[in-house]
This record gives sequence, C-alpha cells and structure tokens, in this order.
Amino acid sequence: MIFAASFLNLAIWIGLALLSLSLLLTGWRVVRGPTLGDRVVALDMLVGIVLGFIAVIAIKTGFPLYIDIAIALGLVGFLATIAFARFILARGASEEAVRERQRLEDLHEERGGQA
Amino acid sequence: MTAFTINVIFAVFWVAVSGSASLLNLMLGFLVGAMSLGLIREQANGTSYLRRIGRILSLILLFFKELSLSAWRVAVLVTRPNMQLKPGIFAFPLTVDRDFEITLLANLITLTPGTLSVDVSKDRKRLFVHALDCSDVEAAKRDIAEGFERKILEAFR
Amino acid sequence: MNALITIITALLILSGSAFALIAAIGLNRLPDLFTRMHAASKAGTVGSGLLLLAAGLHADDFAILVRAVAGFVFFVLTAPISAHLVAMAAHKVGYKLDSRSVIDELAEDAS
Repeated sequence: MIFAASFLNLAIWIGLALLSLSLLLTGWRVVRGPTLGDRVVALDMLVGIVLGFIAVIAIKTGFPLYIDIAIALGLVGFLATIAFARFILARGASEEAVRERQRLEDLHEERGGQA
Repeated sequence: MTAFTINVIFAVFWVAVSGSASLLNLMLGFLVGAMSLGLIREQANGTSYLRRIGRILSLILLFFKELSLSAWRVAVLVTRPNMQLKPGIFAFPLTVDRDFEITLLANLITLTPGTLSVDVSKDRKRLFVHALDCSDVEAAKRDIAEGFERKILEAFR
Repeated sequence: MNALITIITALLILSGSAFALIAAIGLNRLPDLFTRMHAASKAGTVGSGLLLLAAGLHADDFAILVRAVAGFVFFVLTAPISAHLVAMAAHKVGYKLDSRSVIDELAEDAS
C-alpha cells in the first residue's frame, strides 16, 4: 500500500513534468506557425494537454469536481476548433496560395517588362 | 432500431416491477429483455438482435485495438531519428451509402494508424483519405474495405 | 484491491503524459499541416483520454468513473470530427502538401 502510494506520487510528478514539456513544445508550434492552419492544430492540441493537466491535478488534490471542468473545457475546445475551421474556410485563399499567386504575377510582370 | 426501443422499455418495466432502481438492476433487465426478444425474433425469422449487438461490440473492440495501435505507430514514427514519410491523399471507393455509416467510417479511419479522412466527394461515392505512408495505396484501400467497412456492414445491415 | 487501482492509475498517468509528449514532438517534427494533424488527433486524444480515465479511476466512485468514461468517449468522438473539418478547410483554401507527398487524388478531383 505504501509502495503503491509513493509510486502514484512519483507518477504524478513525472506526468506533470512531461505535460509541461509538451505544453512548451506545442506553444512553440503556435508561435512559429508558419500558417494559420498549423496554429489551429497546435491550439487544439494545447486544449488536450491542459485537459490532461486538469485530470492530473484532480488526482493530486483528490477533488473529483475537476473532471467536470475537464469535460467542459473539452467541449469548449471542440467548438473553438470547429469555429477556427470555418474561419479558415471563410477567409478564403491560404497564405501559401496567395504567395504562390503573387510569385506567378511577379514572374508574369517581369516577362511582360522584357517583351 | 425498434427492437432496441422495445428492449429499453422491457428494461424499464423490469426495474419498475422488481422495485430497485439501481444501474445494475437496469442492466440486468436489459439483458433479460434482450434474451426474450431474441427468442421471439428466431420465430419471426428476422436477424437476431443479440447477434447484432455482438457485432457492434466486436466493432467497438476492433476500434479500440486499432486506436491503441495507431497511437503507438505515430509514437514510433515520431521518435525515430530519420523519418521516412511518403504522405499523400488517396480516394477510397465507398461501399456504404447511408450518411450515418459514412460518418462512422470516416471517424474510424481518422483514429486508425496513419490515415486521416479529409473529404467526401459530392456524389458520396468516394472518401478522400490522407495517409502517412502512401507507398502501397491498393493495400491501404484493401485494409479499410476488409476491416472497418465490412464490420460496419455486418453491424448495421 | 486499492493498491492495484492506485498502481493502474499511476501507469495510466505515465502512459497518458508520454503520449501527450509524443504528440507535441510530432507536432514539431512532422513536415506539413496534414501530417501534423495525424500526431495531434491520435496521440493527443489518446493521451488526454488516458489521463481522464486515470482521474475517474482514482476517485473510487462509480458515478464519477461513469462521468470520466463519458468524457473519454466524447473526446474520442469529437477529435476526428475537428481534425476532419480542419483538414478539409485547409485543403480547400489551398494549403500545400509536403514535397515528399506521392499522391493527391483530391486535388485531381477538384480540378
């Protein structure tokens, strides 16, 4: 019993450390981008990691109420991702597509200037 | 689906008659209802309700197996020092045609190893799947068709 | 019995957070949006799902366990839907696949 309790304690600390590391890595992806789509995926992932944090904190403190908070956060995160997806669609052409078109136009102008 | 409704009603009756409203008792009532329905169904020459439940359960089991396998596969791929990727999007010809079944299949594909459903064609005949390993598209298609799609057809037809 | 549940909880925490870390590494190492989505939607979902299950198991209360399992099922059901929507939107507005990609039948279909 004492072994099990100390093992759980160790697991909680290791789990918190791993989750912190993944939070930092995912945050790095949000900052770096490079496109809106990447940031949306990273933000979705961020919600998942925070959810894991809440679950571990629920175990650590022994308040089962945290589980309801986790479920509510999951719902909000899901809706946010859906909204982001619709935003990507509504905004139209992606950064990459715009850049590609710009490049082609520039090329065309250069050719036109030479002729 | 009507058989399921009748079964739920049976379970509620069981709880009301036996007089203890615990979850365990409700489950027992459901089981007894399913068994009695199974007895009648055999005579009415319909597909056995119990067998269908068994098939749905086997679908759920397959799903969890594939999910854990998929997470493991991604883990191995990501932690390897040099990633060998051949990603791509292929079109999977659908045999299932009901909206509900297409949704289920798309969700199952997304949570299985190396595949992610992207879109359905307008005529609902093809499902576009993004895969991490597109070196053998035909084999990937065969895996889906003989795995999840066959199971879905068995469970809901 | 209690000790067993505690040990299972500890193992669930370890594996869940390991999967979360793997998903985060994948998010940084994979080359394009679509492959990154693989890491986030699978390893990420499994990671947070396992942690939620651990919390439900540790509470030692049937009602809370049922709630945690319901939450787990909810995440497993919604993760592919949001991944699918983002992938569909991204492909429609013209995000490129990585240059290593070998085939794109959806682009052929659209044109």
